[in-house]
Amino acid sequence: MRHLLCARAVSCALLCVSLALCLALSGCAATQSDFTRQTASAGGEFAAAALTLAGAHQGRLTFAYARGSFVNYQSQLDGLDAQLPGLQGAPDEASVHHLLALYAPAMRAVEQPCLDTACDWRAQVNALNRASAAFLRAAETSA
Amino acid sequence: MSDKKEKGKEKSAKQPAKWLNILLGVVTATGGFLDAGTISTSGAAGALFGLGLIWAIVLATLAAILLVEMSGRLAAVSGRPYGGVIRERFGFSFYLLPLASELIAETLLLAAEIGGVAIAISLITGLSWRLLFPFVALGIWILLWRSSFSVIENGPAIIGIIALATIAAVVALGGPPPSLLPTLWHPDVQQGEWAEYLYLAAAIMGSTISPYLLYFYSSGAVEEGWSRDDLGLNRLTAGLGMGFGSLCSIAVVVLAAVVLRPHGIQANTLGEIGLPMGQAFGPVGGILFAVILFATCLGAAFEVSLSLSYNIAQGFGWEWGEGKRPVEAARFNVVLTALVIVAALIGLFAGDPLRLAVFASTLLALFLPFSLSPLLIIMNDREYLGEHTNGRFANIATIAVLAMAFLVAVVSIPLLILSGGGG
Repeated sequence: MRHLLCARAVSCALLCVSLALCLALSGCAATQSDFTRQTASAGGEFAAAALTLAGAHQGRLTFAYARGSFVNYQSQLDGLDAQLPGLQGAPDEASVHHLLALYAPAMRAVEQPCLDTACDWRAQVNALNRASAAFLRAAETSA
Repeated sequence: MSDKKEKGKEKSAKQPAKWLNILLGVVTATGGFLDAGTISTSGAAGALFGLGLIWAIVLATLAAILLVEMSGRLAAVSGRPYGGVIRERFGFSFYLLPLASELIAETLLLAAEIGGVAIAISLITGLSWRLLFPFVALGIWILLWRSSFSVIENGPAIIGIIALATIAAVVALGGPPPSLLPTLWHPDVQQGEWAEYLYLAAAIMGSTISPYLLYFYSSGAVEEGWSRDDLGLNRLTAGLGMGFGSLCSIAVVVLAAVVLRPHGIQANTLGEIGLPMGQAFGPVGGILFAVILFATCLGAAFEVSLSLSYNIAQGFGWEWGEGKRPVEAARFNVVLTALVIVAALIGLFAGDPLRLAVFASTLLALFLPFSLSPLLIIMNDREYLGEHTNGRFANIATIAVLAMAFLVAVVSIPLLILSGGGG
């Protein structure tokens, strides 16, 4: 019984300290805005997609590996265009519009990556790299 | 005289078997160290903060070596598993606390491990992991149901030794460049990134010092009939196995820091974490990474599901043991089946296994004190350990680990909220 009461007291103490810490940390600059976090993540994802696609065509990865990876890239990036304008910390409309203009072609490459020799994979890698650079820059400037 | 000769012959015949056991133990612990949680957190750590979180892996590994050695010593000397001793020593009501916390965190982790296996197969075949997920869950259940303990413990771990290829990849890429080395002692954390940095540190602790390791390791020692004669094997397995496993984990950090970080890649998916292996070894590298992911996640899925089933069966005083036929330990096997079904359902609806793995690691960090605190008292109880109780150094080290576990538990949830779940 004594052990149980002690364990309950520890649980309550952990909860209280956690809540206090949460309130304290949210007050200082220890966190990023949603916009910074999402654009940095999307920029990284587009860069990964470009590296994977180029890697498959340059013989560093198998096409199966690339195909398996792109399923995950797609689920990470899906719906970002709808979220982006409303994110906390989002910049002016023109900046968001610029990002969305680069998002569309890059997303087409993510949805239908060129994983055979009959299509222009270099154009897709370029679109992905352009989007990646723009999203990473947006994350950096908004931080 | 001839009796002495016979004994001598018997002893020398046993020597190779003993060394084989030690080797197998070390290999198993090395392969068993990595799982979806450690690969995810190490990949993210390297991609986001360079070498700046290696200290967390080293610290967590030292803690894990200490705790695993103690749980193995307890099982070898007393013949009882850690979970069973907590229930016996502290009572059922207290035992419900670690049991409930483990049930929540490890069911999520099991879902992530099943997802990890599915992703590994998808990276080899090119099929969608979502399509593969239910078949993987079914396969894991069949293997758990049909296989013996030694197959489950050693099979994936022996394949998992390929994880040492991550160290070879670091060498093949020429190691970390000089510009990256300062991040080892002076982490490159920008303003606004501190919550994410500390959150990842907590998740690394949770994924490395997973309490399921203690429950599984001690129950396994009982299943294999360890005795006081195996205390040396226990020390070697814990120290060398965890040490090698930790080196692989650090290698994943270095690979992500060298290859992914310069591109701004954050290692948000498991496939991304394997890209550096492709840079190092070409197409074979990607396949090697997929095999590592497959073996380590499969091994961890076995360990987590068995550990949880052991916990529940030992808590309620049911018959348990993977070595027993299902009919001899019926309730144990029903729990095992139910856990795989629940985890499969969670995995189907929860989405990305990497995020699930990092989230589960954070929950494990939160619940660490519940599972670890009883160890300090038990390891000083002569009723269980006789003359093999903890010495002063082991007690001081355990208190330090407990203090760290409390600290990590306190900060884990606030940091999870503030960092947006690590990505």
